[in-house]
Amino acid sequence: MRMVHVLTSLVGTNCELKVKNGMVYDGVFKTYSPECDLVLDAANIKSPGPSVGLRQEDLVDSIIFKASDVVVVHFRDVDFNYARKDNFTDTAVGGRINGEHKEKDLEPWDGGRQQHMVSGSLESLDTDVSNGWDPNDMFKYNEEQYGIKSTYDSSLSTYTVALERDNSEEFLKREARAAQLAEEIEASSTYKSRVALENDERSEEEKYTAVVRGEREEKYIPPGQRNREGMSWGAGRQNSPRLVQSSSGPPRPGLHDYTPSSGADQRVVNGGKGATSCPSPSSRYQSGPSPLPPRAATPTRPPSRPPSRPSRPPSHPSAHGSPAPISTIPSRRMSSEGPPRMSPKTQRTPRTHRVPPGSRVPPGVDFMPHNAPGEVSVPPATRSSSSGGTWSSVVSGVHSVTIPKLYPAHRPRSPRQNSMGGASPGPSPQTGSTPVEPVNTSMSASSPTASPAPNMAATSSAEAKDSRVQATRQNSPTVNKENMKPLESPPSINRPLSKGPPSMAPDHRKQIDNLKKFSVDFRVIQPSKTLISLSQLQSKKSKQLPLDKGLEGSEGPVVPARSNKPDSPGASSPSLSSTLCPAPEQNRGPDVTSQGVQTSAPNLSGGAKPEDKEEDEADQMRKSTLNPNAHEFKPRVFTPQPATTPTPPRPQGQPSPSIVMQQPQQVYFPQMYPLTPVSPGVQSPAMYHVQMPHMTLSQSKPYRPVSNMPQQRSDQHHPQGTPTMMHPAAGPPIVAQSPAYSAQYFTCSPQQFTSQQLMPHYQSQAQHVFSPVIQGQARMMAPPTHGHPGQLVSSTTQYGEQTHTMYGKTPLCVRPHFLLFPLSGPMPQQYAHPNTTLHPHPQPSATPTGQSQQGVQHGGNHPAPSPVQQHQAAAAAQALHMGNQPQQQMYQALAPTPPSMTPGPNPQSPQGSFSSAQQAVYLHPQQMQHGYNPSHMAHMQQVSSTFRSPSLHSEYILYEQAHIQSGMVPSHHGNPGHPQMMLMATQQQGGPQPQLAQNALNPIPVSSTAHFSYLAHPQVQQHHQQQL
Amino acid sequence: MAAPGPGEYFSVGSHISCLTCLGQRLQGEVVAFDYQSKMLTLKCDPSSRKPNLHDVILINLDYVSEVDIINDRTETPPLASLNVSKLANRARSEKEDKLSQAYAISAGVSVEGQHLFQTIHKTIKDCKWQEKNIMVMDDVVISPPYQADNCKGKEGSALSHVRKIVEKHFRDLDRQQQWTERTDLLLGSSSGQREQTCCWEAAVDRDKQTC
Repeated sequence: MRMVHVLTSLVGTNCELKVKNGMVYDGVFKTYSPECDLVLDAANIKSPGPSVGLRQEDLVDSIIFKASDVVVVHFRDVDFNYARKDNFTDTAVGGRINGEHKEKDLEPWDGGRQQHMVSGSLESLDTDVSNGWDPNDMFKYNEEQYGIKSTYDSSLSTYTVALERDNSEEFLKREARAAQLAEEIEASSTYKSRVALENDERSEEEKYTAVVRGEREEKYIPPGQRNREGMSWGAGRQNSPRLVQSSSGPPRPGLHDYTPSSGADQRVVNGGKGATSCPSPSSRYQSGPSPLPPRAATPTRPPSRPPSRPSRPPSHPSAHGSPAPISTIPSRRMSSEGPPRMSPKTQRTPRTHRVPPGSRVPPGVDFMPHNAPGEVSVPPATRSSSSGGTWSSVVSGVHSVTIPKLYPAHRPRSPRQNSMGGASPGPSPQTGSTPVEPVNTSMSASSPTASPAPNMAATSSAEAKDSRVQATRQNSPTVNKENMKPLESPPSINRPLSKGPPSMAPDHRKQIDNLKKFSVDFRVIQPSKTLISLSQLQSKKSKQLPLDKGLEGSEGPVVPARSNKPDSPGASSPSLSSTLCPAPEQNRGPDVTSQGVQTSAPNLSGGAKPEDKEEDEADQMRKSTLNPNAHEFKPRVFTPQPATTPTPPRPQGQPSPSIVMQQPQQVYFPQMYPLTPVSPGVQSPAMYHVQMPHMTLSQSKPYRPVSNMPQQRSDQHHPQGTPTMMHPAAGPPIVAQSPAYSAQYFTCSPQQFTSQQLMPHYQSQAQHVFSPVIQGQARMMAPPTHGHPGQLVSSTTQYGEQTHTMYGKTPLCVRPHFLLFPLSGPMPQQYAHPNTTLHPHPQPSATPTGQSQQGVQHGGNHPAPSPVQQHQAAAAAQALHMGNQPQQQMYQALAPTPPSMTPGPNPQSPQGSFSSAQQAVYLHPQQMQHGYNPSHMAHMQQVSSTFRSPSLHSEYILYEQAHIQSGMVPSHHGNPGHPQMMLMATQQQGGPQPQLAQNALNPIPVSSTAHFSYLAHPQVQQHHQQQL
Repeated sequence: MAAPGPGEYFSVGSHISCLTCLGQRLQGEVVAFDYQSKMLTLKCDPSSRKPNLHDVILINLDYVSEVDIINDRTETPPLASLNVSKLANRARSEKEDKLSQAYAISAGVSVEGQHLFQTIHKTIKDCKWQEKNIMVMDDVVISPPYQADNCKGKEGSALSHVRKIVEKHFRDLDRQQQWTERTDLLLGSSSGQREQTCCWEAAVDRDKQTC
């Protein structure tokens, strides 16, 4: 050991090594072996004679000497301290001092006893707070030890002048001045900031790196857990953003919704948006109101409008009617989720949500309640439980809205479409015109989005998302407005209600007042409805949603409950009023009410809708300008919200009426989507028309059952236009339960909400029914739909897809949608494909969620119809959910519309909305997970299937799941896949699969298209079956 | 292990003396002893008589006789951790120096040149032999007879710096020369020329050491 140490310390020294034979080698000691073999580098044999210059040839690079050969090795002049790391040993310290190589005598430390230590002991070091010697001690010590006397003067008179204190007035004055200056300096932000630099206890992470979350985003929620928590959470975020936006103007909410959808790619953003929208009930409401008004207008007007709006009005009315409710509902939901705090309404809803589901449902519940009120009016018939229906409708509306936004964002057309929509609204301020316009806008938006979406997906999902988000925002606003209008229009009552709540715009206020009146009535109705819905929900899977709804209804400020109750009493007619009432109430609630009012107002006044749209656009602009980030988030949020809203509707629908509603909505959505895919502008309309017809059919039945509800009216109109499709689905639901109808309406509206396009579609459909134009659109729509046998079905699926896309746009869905879009693009039926892509996604999500929830709730209510609708709604909801936050956002976005929507939807919304909300929430989690993980998607599907538990629903789900699994899995894995997965899971497989396929890859897109077709067909078939 | 007896076991710190098979008498303080290889390490007074330096002798006890323990100590000083990388660098640099020196010698470089090279190498590591020229930093070339005037290269701080070193080197040599001469005068003239030479050599050695 020591040998090793010594030899190591000798490395690199010159040495003379003598071997046995007397030879002496000179070299640099390089190393040694354990056996003490030595290695010399640059060794040479040292000649005994006089040293001659070394010759290069004499040197050997290295020589190894065996220990047994070595006699003596002489190292000369070795410095043992050379490589010693520790230079603080006694030897090191004493050895070298100032170059004096003289051993220095070291003295042991006496512990300072000899010194005049203040403490005097070692222990004092621990307790002695003083920092070293006291100056006086030092002076004393030096004086004693060395006789040095310090000349230190504490006054530092050598350096400065002592302050002469006196009591003179001048001195006091100056002293006060000095104190003042000191205070000012110390109070200055600069001073504080600089002091904070030293005293800021926040870590670097907190100060510079940490992601700053909104108030509600106090803690990070894993994607998987975001569905529930995320909903409220995202809602919160979204709400805040949305609120901001909403605050800027009602239109913004819609925009937000759109943005969310567009933001689907950016889940966070979407979520944020959705959250913002949700949180910002006001924004939602405002936006919702504006949207709602349009919807309301459309709903109420639809009847009258259809004629005025030859082409669009019919379809649109129905679409709007349902969409509007949905939108409103979504908005409400959004508001409730995020906004609860923000807006009284939202708060109320949250409470209710909290109480019933206790979990995520709250947001949904909120939405549901809100929606319920609004929806109630429309869906009453459809939704046995007004609340559920309204919610669902609202959700759907949100979805539709969001989708449109997404589409617009994706496609340039969307803007045009939006403009178109805006223009149309303007032209058709009247019921018909307004709805049509909204529809058109939504249609255009949706179609654009759909087509763009593919492109976007192909190109850059992110950009697409952003653009989509914005576009979605814009579209969504429009859509929302449209939706709102339709909702309002379908049921005049709804409009009043919505108006009443918003009371934002003067015109709207009037309407709102009416709506308020209605709302009161509705409230009564809604409560009953909500109760029913709740009961249904509880009984059914929608349990959570129902519970939420119920909670909302009960807890929810009086409004939800009232609305629900009223619904129960006078399911159909009351429901309408109730829905309206809820909306008003919600609207009354801070922002929500205002929004609702605005929405309603727009609806009331044909011109109002355009204004709302404009406002929405402006809001969008503002939003965009205001908070780029926020916008993105908002979009996401919106999408989530929409999803949530859609989901709620679905659940609600499924529980009872909601299902029917959802189906119609789904149908509408699908149509909408197909239209959008087919052609940005025209095609989209066509698609919408097609969907609309379907919607109308299904919805019409549901609505008809609901009858009184504006949405129903619109739906009814639509049904006429699109009897078969809609009717099958709607019929059963409706028949099964009036609530289911409402739910369907809600779902429809949710779908619409989910995709603004849907809303537009609805409107367009309504228009078609009502007017030639609509027909023309319908024709347009028809081709796509026709192109796909199951296009209607596919349309439904498409709706789901759209919703998904919307969702995707919002959060997860956006990407999927994009993917889907590309996929759809490849597909022969591009239009259809776009739609399909979108629809598949939306539908899957929407339908799944809706179905699942609805299925649960509705159970036996409307097996087939409800399933379809539910699926659609679920899809929408899921889509919204997919972007959980996005969906929420969507909902929120819808919410704006929802206000109006809510009025109509409310009846349905209570349950439907709750269910949808709940579903949305659930879906959202799942969707979120899906978005994040393919497996999650699968799980979502499973979950959705479970939710769908209702036999029919379950079957659909199974089918969808199967489809989804087959096609979806890959895609789900992909970003897009998640949304799809979500959708798939929650929604029917058809939707999911398409999405998945789309999500997966371009090939997948193709397959997805195939899937879509398949899905669509399956769904359609399913829907048909259900309906049948 | 048998009980440590004389010649078999040495405690660190004890002083011993021994006679090698080659007839060399060795004495020193035991620093380390490896029983298996029978290698004993002794620390002796430095041959250069410089403080803090020691001569170390590694002895193979197989070839040693008359091992006597002058005094024994039981205390074993602690071992300090070693900077291995520093040691490795020393080994490498020593080797290079030796090779460089050998090159210079084999190249027929004058002693003055070799001394100058040693001096410059102390200050500037980046110097090497190029034939008989000393290349410093690949920039300055010092050719025989290695005077300041022989420093050539691109005008600049490098050249001026090398010149200063060269000038100082010869100035120191002159001073040592003078000092030795003076010493000789003081000591007496008996030894005369030889003494002077020795002194000069000593001065050179000292110079080397200082280097």
